[in-house]
Amino acid sequence: MLKYLFLSVALLLAAFPSQAQTPTKVLPTIAKPLLVPAPAKASSLMNTNDAGQADSARVLTPTQIAEQSYQAGLLSYQNKDFAWALVNFSAAIKTAPDFAPAYGTRAATHYELKHYDQALTDYNEALKLEPNNYTNYLGRALVQEAKGNVKEAEKDYSEAMKGGFVYGPAWHKRGVLRFEKGEYQGARDDFDGAVKADRKNAYAYHDRASANQMLGNYPEAIIDYTAALTLQPGMLSALLNRAGAERHAGQLPQALKDYDTYLSIKPDDPLAFVNRGAARYENKDYKGAVTDYTQALLLDGNYALALNDRAAAYLKLRDYEKAEADATQAIALDDKYAEAYLNRGHAREMLRKPEDACKDWRKAADLGIAVGNSYAAIAGCAPAEPAPAADPTADTAKQ
Amino acid sequence: MSTYTRFLLACALATGALFTAQAQNVLFNSQRFQNEEALKGALKAIKEGQDEYNAVPPRYAAALPHFQEAQKLNPNNGPLNLRIGNCYLNMGDAATALPYLEKAAELEPAATRNHYVLGQAYQQSARWGDALKEYTKAKPVAVGAPRRGQSVDVPLPELIRRVTECKNGMQLMAKPTRLFMDNLGPTVNSPEADYNPVVTADETTLFFTSRRAGSQGGEKDPGGSGYTDDIYSTVGGGLAWGPSRNINAPVNTNGADVTVALSADGQRMLLHTEGNMGNLSETRLTAAGWSKPHELGSHINTKYQETSASFSADGRYIYYVSDKPEGSLGGKDIYKAEIDGKTPPVNLGGSINTPYNEEAVFMASDGKTLYFSSEGHNSMGGYDIFKSVYANGKWGEPENLGWPINTPSDDVFFVTVASGRIAYLASNRPGGFGGKDIYRITLLGDEKQPAINQEDRLLSTNPRPMRQVLPSVTVPVITPDVTLLKGTVTDVATMQPVFATIEVVDNLTGQTINTFQTTASGKYLLSLPAGANYALVLHNDAYLFHSENVSRPPDAGYAEAVKNIRMQKMEPGSNIVLNNVFFDPDKAVLRPESTAELDRVRKLLEDSPKLKLQVSGHTDNVGPPDANQNLSERRAQAIKDYLVQHKISADRLTATGYGGTIPITANTTEAGRQMNRRVEFKVLAR
Repeated sequence: MLKYLFLSVALLLAAFPSQAQTPTKVLPTIAKPLLVPAPAKASSLMNTNDAGQADSARVLTPTQIAEQSYQAGLLSYQNKDFAWALVNFSAAIKTAPDFAPAYGTRAATHYELKHYDQALTDYNEALKLEPNNYTNYLGRALVQEAKGNVKEAEKDYSEAMKGGFVYGPAWHKRGVLRFEKGEYQGARDDFDGAVKADRKNAYAYHDRASANQMLGNYPEAIIDYTAALTLQPGMLSALLNRAGAERHAGQLPQALKDYDTYLSIKPDDPLAFVNRGAARYENKDYKGAVTDYTQALLLDGNYALALNDRAAAYLKLRDYEKAEADATQAIALDDKYAEAYLNRGHAREMLRKPEDACKDWRKAADLGIAVGNSYAAIAGCAPAEPAPAADPTADTAKQ
Repeated sequence: MSTYTRFLLACALATGALFTAQAQNVLFNSQRFQNEEALKGALKAIKEGQDEYNAVPPRYAAALPHFQEAQKLNPNNGPLNLRIGNCYLNMGDAATALPYLEKAAELEPAATRNHYVLGQAYQQSARWGDALKEYTKAKPVAVGAPRRGQSVDVPLPELIRRVTECKNGMQLMAKPTRLFMDNLGPTVNSPEADYNPVVTADETTLFFTSRRAGSQGGEKDPGGSGYTDDIYSTVGGGLAWGPSRNINAPVNTNGADVTVALSADGQRMLLHTEGNMGNLSETRLTAAGWSKPHELGSHINTKYQETSASFSADGRYIYYVSDKPEGSLGGKDIYKAEIDGKTPPVNLGGSINTPYNEEAVFMASDGKTLYFSSEGHNSMGGYDIFKSVYANGKWGEPENLGWPINTPSDDVFFVTVASGRIAYLASNRPGGFGGKDIYRITLLGDEKQPAINQEDRLLSTNPRPMRQVLPSVTVPVITPDVTLLKGTVTDVATMQPVFATIEVVDNLTGQTINTFQTTASGKYLLSLPAGANYALVLHNDAYLFHSENVSRPPDAGYAEAVKNIRMQKMEPGSNIVLNNVFFDPDKAVLRPESTAELDRVRKLLEDSPKLKLQVSGHTDNVGPPDANQNLSERRAQAIKDYLVQHKISADRLTATGYGGTIPITANTTEAGRQMNRRVEFKVLAR
């Protein structure tokens, strides 16, 4: 059975370099790992005599028959004839119910056909027969993820990773799951494994950079985004994100240059305008920031974040009426937008609407920006709710 | 040589530069002006103007028409342009002064004095760069030997100071103080000077000085600026102040009467009056109105000028300004003295006072923040307003309140209300009603930072933007640690106002900090710095004393509270809560802070020999009723024991415990339970 395992892994890895061969993809996705082995030469699978000729006189065992069905199934699978693949793999299983490779390959076929329940059943059976088959763990993890069972998927990716860096996709996929859960340190470690598994995998570098960015390790993030761009020069997300990392690292000129490059290629991306606006804002170019936020809003009129950030830029420009209007519109789009309440509070204070400002600061605090309460206190707003301690004549030490 | 002769000589000598300058300096002489009568008239006008100009103190407003008369004949004389410009400059009108001074410097570019005065005008216009250029031109004469025909009266230290002021101004204007500055409007401000505002701690009553028409005696100000100073008042608050009224005699007199300070409750006022070179007087608000001012003691008022003052937070001391040489660090200094004491005043020392003048001192309600004006420290010119906080036994580094509170001109007299967020000052900035006007300042604090967001498509597999969480920001909230307590004192039965004396006692020491009076309508206002356990004891001979407790930790911040108090007449059945009796938790052991309150009860019993009292203990409803009953009995008994130990006959006292059976409010909140845990006494007989 070991030969099937090695065969699967070899083909599984062969599936991944294809990612690096799609330079024009803007938003790449990791290719699904090929979970069934490619057909081997028939001669290697048939009983042969010393001269290499088929020994037709010998009677085939059920396992040998099953192997033949299995090989036929592999060919069908390769040809994307999943229906015939299923027939063949099922025939193999029927002939030899303990022929483990057929379960795994049938599971992969079900996965392709989005028959996740059947895929799961087959992977479970395959793993019963071969508990150390890491390829099947990887396959089952994909099925679990497709079914939305993130916890189970992560567990299976972890099992697959026991096979070492050779299971690079498992490292990468678990990293993604951890990243999405906000476990950036763990994600970074997993992406690190994915990079070690394949040092030509631009996506692994990209995502390790993302994890580093979320961890505040901006110089490392910049290096990894740059590596991703070197491997895949057309990877625009790496360019955009590198600009973000540069901005966070205080490298505003480099960030602005990257944003400019990105927008020269993709001038219809409101998010990029918003982020360049933020870079300009941090560069104290508030008018330039307003221009970018406005451009973002021309591309997406309901972009609450662009409205909020433009409000902030207007505050810096002391155009409090516009700041209030933008923040109000942002709140209309997202009534839980804490930063917009905070900014509107600032605008309203300067517009001599102290009570409205106080309400906005308190609301921002309620929504998680604690500094809103500090601003309210500085401005002399009435306490949010009277507390017993607010009565200075109350003496808690008394009696 | 008379100054007039020197002036004419200067006019003549200036011709030396005439032929080298681009503009021609035109002399007043018969070669130039054939009309002898006109020339004579101009020279006469110059002489008359010069007399006013050189008076001590100079009368610039009076000199100006004479100089302008001469200017009609000859607008191109350097020294005359300098004089006219200097008059305007000293009258606080740098904008009008500038063209004259620029012309003087152009006509006589070698006369470095011209550049110095022009530099001053630029400085007062906040044109720091231009001012520095002119001061640089003035410098050679200041540091080198005088040359013939050049003015030499620019002392180097003064020049250096001016340069420093300009640099200060550049720095301060680069980071303006965030505030709203609102003119109080025509109900307060008049076409004449309105200045020296003082305001109650709760910002409901404002007093100020005005030179408007209608002053007591109706005399014109000798300086030619409106009428003699009188004190006016208005009530309201914020930007809604009612009509101003002259507070009349006996406070206002035919002379100059100037507001200097107001106690937090608005019951006491300090004035600056003309007597004895300028002294400080005090007036108090009584049921009949403001009393006739009386001069403060000789330990404060001297033969020198005492010009401004402020009450300390507890009202026992004043901070004041005097130019007496004894103990001075130079010029006018700020001192502290016990207002009714005899001990010598204390100079506030080198952290506050400088070799230059200090003026217009104001102590805030928190008892530790001092505002004052100074020509020293890092002033941007003339007097600037500074703030210093007393902490750890010393005054902190004075902080310039910055632009636009401070300007290159004199900025004096800055007072705050209890919250510390609102201040009042007088200023002659453009846009007013004439002369100095009174402005209300809302201090906004440091710039409130806007919050921007960002989002990135971080994962290569996921095109969904991810919004990144902003780092948490903390902003220090600094408010004055003071409690503003106000309310009305009434008779519990009739609800009529009671005119009471309020004694503020520090429970820790048992010392009376100060006593205050309610107004005739029973209103009171107390500004109590945090960090003490206060007993407020209200007295009126016809009533039982009433005590309240206010306790706030040192960093409690700012709080306002209203406490309406009902006093009970001393008659059988009257019932008083002893709010300043303290026990150890769950015990009947009297704490030392209770002594002052118990001594008041003892004194009451001593003063009224027939008085019999029931002392009753009460608890909240927390815990077993039996335990509460027992605790309340033991506490009542502890008080009776204390009084008996202090020679009160035991048969005049009964001690009763009621446990939690007689709550005076619901036990649902800690505040309610607090009120229910109490000791009372009831008058049984008198």
